[in-house]
Amino acid sequence: MPLLEAVRVHKSYKTGADAVDALKGIDLAIEPGEFVSVMGPSGSGKTTLLNCLSGLDGIDEGKVLLDGESIHEMTDAKRTRHRAESMGFIFQAFNLIPVFTATENVELPLLLAGKPAKAARAAAIETLGRVGLGHRLDHRPTELSGGEQQRVTIARALAGRPRIVWADEPTGNLDSETAASVMSLLAELHTEGLTLVLVTHDQEIGASAQRRIVVRDGVVVDDERLR
Amino acid sequence: MNALGQVVFLSLPFLFLLARKPVLRRLAFRNATRRPRETMLVLLGSLLGTAIITGSLIVGDTLDRSFRQAVYSHQGPIDELVETSAVPQAEIERRLAAVGSDDVDGLLPITTAAAAVIAGDKAEPNATIVEVDFARAAAFGADPDSTGIEGPTPAPGRVVITEDLAEMVDVDAGDRVVVAAYGKRLDVTVDRVVERKGIAGFRLSPGSEAFNVVVGPGTIASLTAGGPPGATLPNTYVAVSNTGGVVDGAALTDTVVRQLRPALEGVPAGIIEVKQDTLEYSELQGKQFTELFVGIGFFSVLAGILLLVNIFVMLAQERKTELGMLRAVGMRRASLVGGFSLEGWLYALASSALGMVAGLGVGRLIVVVASSIFSNPGEIFSLELQYAATLESALAGFAGGFTMSLLVVVTTSVWIARLNVIRAIRDLPDPPRSRTQQVLGLAVGAVLTALGGVLAVAGIGGEVPSLVLIGPALLAVGVVLLLRRLVPFRPLVTAASAVVIVFSITAFDLFPDAFETAEIPVFVVMGVILNAAAVILVSFNQRRIGSFVRRIGGGSENMPLRLGLAYPLAKLFRTGMILSMYALVVFTLVFMTVFSHLFAQQVESFTQKVSGGFDVRVDSNPTSPIPVEAAAAMPGVAGVAPITNALAEFEPRCPKCPKDFVDWPAGTFDRRLIDAGPPAIAERPPGLRDDRAVYEALLRDPNAIVPTQFFLQEGGGPPTWTAELGDLVVIRNPETGATRELRVLALAESGFGNLTAMVAPQTMQELFGPTRSSPNTLFVTAAAGVDVDELATSINGRFIESGSDARSFRSIVELNLGQQKQFFRLIQGYLALGLVVGIAGLGVVMVRSVRERRREVGVLRSLGFEAGAVRKAFIAESAFVALEGIVIGTALALVTSWRLVGNETFGATLKFAVPLGSLAVLTIGTFVASLIATAAPAQQASRIKPAVALRIAD
Repeated sequence: MPLLEAVRVHKSYKTGADAVDALKGIDLAIEPGEFVSVMGPSGSGKTTLLNCLSGLDGIDEGKVLLDGESIHEMTDAKRTRHRAESMGFIFQAFNLIPVFTATENVELPLLLAGKPAKAARAAAIETLGRVGLGHRLDHRPTELSGGEQQRVTIARALAGRPRIVWADEPTGNLDSETAASVMSLLAELHTEGLTLVLVTHDQEIGASAQRRIVVRDGVVVDDERLR
Repeated sequence: MNALGQVVFLSLPFLFLLARKPVLRRLAFRNATRRPRETMLVLLGSLLGTAIITGSLIVGDTLDRSFRQAVYSHQGPIDELVETSAVPQAEIERRLAAVGSDDVDGLLPITTAAAAVIAGDKAEPNATIVEVDFARAAAFGADPDSTGIEGPTPAPGRVVITEDLAEMVDVDAGDRVVVAAYGKRLDVTVDRVVERKGIAGFRLSPGSEAFNVVVGPGTIASLTAGGPPGATLPNTYVAVSNTGGVVDGAALTDTVVRQLRPALEGVPAGIIEVKQDTLEYSELQGKQFTELFVGIGFFSVLAGILLLVNIFVMLAQERKTELGMLRAVGMRRASLVGGFSLEGWLYALASSALGMVAGLGVGRLIVVVASSIFSNPGEIFSLELQYAATLESALAGFAGGFTMSLLVVVTTSVWIARLNVIRAIRDLPDPPRSRTQQVLGLAVGAVLTALGGVLAVAGIGGEVPSLVLIGPALLAVGVVLLLRRLVPFRPLVTAASAVVIVFSITAFDLFPDAFETAEIPVFVVMGVILNAAAVILVSFNQRRIGSFVRRIGGGSENMPLRLGLAYPLAKLFRTGMILSMYALVVFTLVFMTVFSHLFAQQVESFTQKVSGGFDVRVDSNPTSPIPVEAAAAMPGVAGVAPITNALAEFEPRCPKCPKDFVDWPAGTFDRRLIDAGPPAIAERPPGLRDDRAVYEALLRDPNAIVPTQFFLQEGGGPPTWTAELGDLVVIRNPETGATRELRVLALAESGFGNLTAMVAPQTMQELFGPTRSSPNTLFVTAAAGVDVDELATSINGRFIESGSDARSFRSIVELNLGQQKQFFRLIQGYLALGLVVGIAGLGVVMVRSVRERRREVGVLRSLGFEAGAVRKAFIAESAFVALEGIVIGTALALVTSWRLVGNETFGATLKFAVPLGSLAVLTIGTFVASLIATAAPAQQASRIKPAVALRIAD
């Protein structure tokens, strides 16, 4: 049974008087432990696909099932809780909470998922150590480099041991060296069983995944298993 | 430079930018119109300061016009009055006419006498008979209309009355009234009712109404013949009209008085500069009320300034990247300042114009509320407020608000333009202080330490209260800057702030002499310093406070609280600004609430102090005082003590004292007052063992005086002189010019309705004699079991023709305290405008915060933060800041008022108490209003869709 399944997913945006069809009936299944890259040119609907599959954004038609449950039929509160318990997110712009330290940022989803404060703190520290930031625990985002901030984001995404991690251009704001180190960290985590869906327009990064999906004009034009 | 000139002058650089810098012009206009709703918020935040300044000036205009109205309604062409009873008016007139002054265009004999007017069951005990030759009066001065007199002299048995009197006793032309004076009754017909104007509305004491009966020559003489014992003679004047109109004629008063005085040589006659005095009094009242409202409104204005700073800093932070990019593409720092300031100039101009209009409304509102306090027809003092808004005041308010806003905008712009391009674009924090900055900090610290020390010493030595407060505060800032490299910063600032707070609160105890004549600005300075120090203290310890609040709020697991606290704790400057707004406004409101409460609960103690052993005070017309024996024979009366009154003039004698005689009532008494228990003494010399001993000593000493604590204090402002034991005072009969030097033996408790300065019977007799003093006040003791208010009513009924005005001491105190309470309410209402600024400010800041944090909210939502939790986090944030501000303001106000009451700054009679009910309403109301102001932005935040927020941000 797939971990996540998208059936005929449609999504359109209204920009003034015009409606833009961002997703036009996407069908997709992601198995547990898969590392999927989503590629496509700018404006092809990659990020929209990620947002709709993860439940961050609503859909107009179709359904998205996570562990067999339709996430868009859940109430906002339930969907939010579901995200906290089973998903992790990595964004291009890091999107850390600027007034929280690295540790506080990482423990945030754990606390939201209802983990006791002490356990959440311990897990956050452990995860930060795992991504090589054991010495930056009490630093705020503005006191960290771009690579370090992205590592905090990865730690935040992983700390709650989610069923699936969504990464939207995780290396887009990083130099090539830092990007490579971040990718090797993600690859390492995948080998430990993490399900990862990564949106990128970088061919090399896209090729490092197990499976590559290419989106163009809101439809999947290629779905290739790379290894 | 006038107000409009000031605005144009300050706008010149911006007009230049508008005309010559198209890029900056485009930037400013587009940014200002980009988000209309937020532009409206900026304008709303900025206009309140202008509104408050304009409103204060309008109050001044209104008071000025209302008092100034007296020159039209009570004087008309009369500029000076020559008063004498020893010489016939005709002789005085002959002497004055003989001067042949070109500056005088008329002389008119006027005679007045106090009377009671009765019509059926209605009566006015404090009416005045004004006797003039109607034909001469109508032709008096340059403008016949201003005299208020028209038509022929009424025939015998007929009188003319003013509208005020007609209304009070409910009569009209043709109705019959009884005019009672000198123990006689004139049963007359109302010939006509005239406007309160000029000679017809003649009145010398401040106040609006004129309950006048205008009669022809010979009427008063027919009443005085065979008058009762103790009755004073009528007041006889020769009025002088200077050339010119009703108001501008007063400009010649000094010249005319100089010309006329030699003609009165050797004659016991005094010249009253009635018009000039009224105009000066009006101007003084207007100025004092403007100062009062500007003073108390200053806190609200300051709150407005803080809000403006906050809005602009937030605006700049929001545009940090954009501004950094502009610098990166080659925009010079000066241009950046110019562009941002130009946008601010547009806001300042628009908000000041709107604020001016709002200020006219604020002024109007205050006048409407104040009218009910000032207008007390039939009471001793009553003033009809006439709303007045001069163009000058409106423009001054506009210019004041504009200047203030522009200053804030330009300062903020300069500060913002210092940003480093890379740091701005990448949103990096500021680097550690450079060596140059450190050296500069030390230099500023040294200067402030020295300056603060000098100011403190000068303030204490020269008894300048503001400097006593400002000096140590600057000293503390200087010391902090000097020691910051040697001592950990947080403990250093904490200690310095705490010292400043403790010093400011106890300064009144430590240096009582310096604060003896403290005026409103001193309290403003104290409030600002106290609140600033407290906010700094709290800001530097916010993390600890936050931890504590988090702990009691459920620890780390309460995510909304944790997130709600995270922002105010991280953005200390912004939080400090909001805290300051709240603390300042709440401080003033609580302070005023406490004192309103303290005064209001003094009914019992005030009554006891002013009444001594008596229950009822009876005042009657000096022309027909109530006979003591007749009053004593009334059923329910156990005892009566007469007080003999005279209108005297006093001038304190000391090097720093004001050199001018002031009208003030003088009185004397006999043993009966002492035997029944005299009014309380507030301060007596050590040699006199009790209050009775003071009055005993005064009876024997013709060179002593016992005034009240309010002696010679006029108007609404702080006293220029306060009497102390041993001070020398000169008493003068205004008519004869006879004087005597008196020494202050003791100070009586300041009592409502009793400001009389007591002198020995011998002094009264020598200076005023029986013709200018009258035993027209009686202190009455009620027999056991008698209702004192009913007794007062029956005394009034029995002695209606004497103009009896009997009231229980308790009702007099209650009436006065009631008016005082209303005035406090008015002030509280005015201060509440500041609360509107604070609450609106919090709302504005939260609205901007939601916009600023859209991306973060999106992230939180994507991580599993529920919509309700986002809403709670925003509410928790504003609740925390509002609560801190409320706690700071309330605590400081309570401690300060406790000290001020404790060291008797506001008199020894006040006892400190906390008005729990009023405080609960005030603080809870403020808190709830703050939450309501945040509800909309919090709701807006909770509705942010994560994907949309992330997409927009990225």
